[in-house]
Amino acid sequence: MHKTLLGYIPEDSPIYKLHPFVRLLFLLIVSFLPLLIPAPEWNFLILIIVLVLILYARVNIRVLRIYVPVAISMGIIILISYTLLGGYHPEYKVLFTLFGKPFYWERIRDALVVYFRILPMIATMVFFLTTSSERDIIAAMRSIKIPFVVTYTFAMGLRAAGMVLEDFSIIRQAEQARGFDISGKPLTYKIRKYVMYMIPLFAISLRRTEEFTNALFARGFSFTGEASKVKRADYILSCYQFHFYDGLIATLIITCLIIVLLLRYKFGYFSLEKSLINVWFGQH
Amino acid sequence: MAIIEFKNYSWRYLNVETPALSNINLSIEQGEFIGVIGPNGSGKTTLCYSINGLIPDQYNGIRRGEVLVFGKEVTTYPKGTLQRRVGLVFSDPEVQFTSMTVEDEIVFGLENLGMSLAEIRERLEWVMGLVHLKSLLKKPPYELSGGQKQQVALASVIAMTPDIMIFDEPTSMLDPINRMSVFNILEEIRKKHNSTVIVVEHSLEKLVTLADRMLLLYNGQALLFEETRAFFQNMPLILEKNVDPPGILRFFYELTRLGDFSGQIPLSLEEAESAFRDLVRQRFSKS
Repeated sequence: MHKTLLGYIPEDSPIYKLHPFVRLLFLLIVSFLPLLIPAPEWNFLILIIVLVLILYARVNIRVLRIYVPVAISMGIIILISYTLLGGYHPEYKVLFTLFGKPFYWERIRDALVVYFRILPMIATMVFFLTTSSERDIIAAMRSIKIPFVVTYTFAMGLRAAGMVLEDFSIIRQAEQARGFDISGKPLTYKIRKYVMYMIPLFAISLRRTEEFTNALFARGFSFTGEASKVKRADYILSCYQFHFYDGLIATLIITCLIIVLLLRYKFGYFSLEKSLINVWFGQH
Repeated sequence: MAIIEFKNYSWRYLNVETPALSNINLSIEQGEFIGVIGPNGSGKTTLCYSINGLIPDQYNGIRRGEVLVFGKEVTTYPKGTLQRRVGLVFSDPEVQFTSMTVEDEIVFGLENLGMSLAEIRERLEWVMGLVHLKSLLKKPPYELSGGQKQQVALASVIAMTPDIMIFDEPTSMLDPINRMSVFNILEEIRKKHNSTVIVVEHSLEKLVTLADRMLLLYNGQALLFEETRAFFQNMPLILEKNVDPPGILRFFYELTRLGDFSGQIPLSLEEAESAFRDLVRQRFSKS
């Protein structure tokens, strides 16, 4: 099994065989597509395609379960924001009234548009993170000639996130070992105590920063000066081979983007006015 | 020619009253293996950092005197250049990991040296043969056991084949088996390369068999710096300064003190065995 950012993936996963650049390209373009497409049914289709790809990649489906409550909560928040706080226009049609408050079709429709734009973007990000390790992301960034300093800083940011979680876990265990446990306590108490964790976490992070700087320094790395001018052989990138099928898939992804752009802005496809839900609900 | 020289060197960390190192004068020749011992807070790590350039570059404090490495004052080296020739392994392996996988960790230093891909691959192969960690290449360093982390840290510095290698308590977190393995690696480096090696250690059993000279630091001062056997002739001083020498050395020192042994104090178990057999044979032949 290969360890990825959000879990593990089988070694023979077909998606893992793709060059990281192709996976990154997929993420960038497919997560951008919903922004071009207002019609919710088309974004829903993108979501289904991405979910199918996640299954095809043989990602453990249990990883997605974590995101279901997130997706539901997000949907509720968006719906409430748009319907209760979304404002009013004289041409809005009242769909129903609840406790004297009118709910307009246009506000619900806009909430659906936003929701179905965000869902495939999140799914694409999850797909990318469940099929890529930190090293893959670095290789993808370096393959598009992003400077070493930027990719390295990004890699350290990724690592730092994991270290903060680990430190948090250690602090909690240390407190529990001294008989301090917040389980069973009221929520307000827990929130107050969680703020307390920030102080040692912050102190540890500062110390780690210093240690990390020393480690870089001790290994002869420098961001500036003579030492920084040495031409670095990119070993990580050399470990990934760009195959014919990578080129083919990358071309396919770019072609999809061009087709969507043409259909959207030249021929008026994917618009909200011609959207199925707009037509159907509009008729009723 | 001395490869490292301390000339009236003192260092005091900012906001600390007592200096961490005080008036240090010593020189180390190329190819020497130096063991540095002393109780906690005696200045051992500060000494290592002063050679490598971490002090004063990364630490604030008051510096006096000179530290010359390769004949040049440490502070005159352009940033990042000295460290490519002076490798340092920290006592805590966790703090020196800069990469996502063991492979990248080892290769990072080689990339900093400007080596080509072919050279990097060759060097990686070589160092993997030395530390026997090939199966861990793709693993993140932070998922390894303490001993494996320490070996990766060693490998990542050894791979750079610096002229000077400094190991600050390289076995502090290791069990006895892994500790032996680290010393075996140091022994191999000593035999096959002409690198100058400086090892800070509390566990002295194996160190004394490898070191050409030993340095005793106490309260920031260099109290003793001699060839290993002569060093341990000063047992009362060593014991007084809270250093725990190997049992074998203490045993033979006591025998020497009592007049029962007059030979060279053995440094290794094998030497001790041989010396003890000779002693017993002498005793039996007398009686």
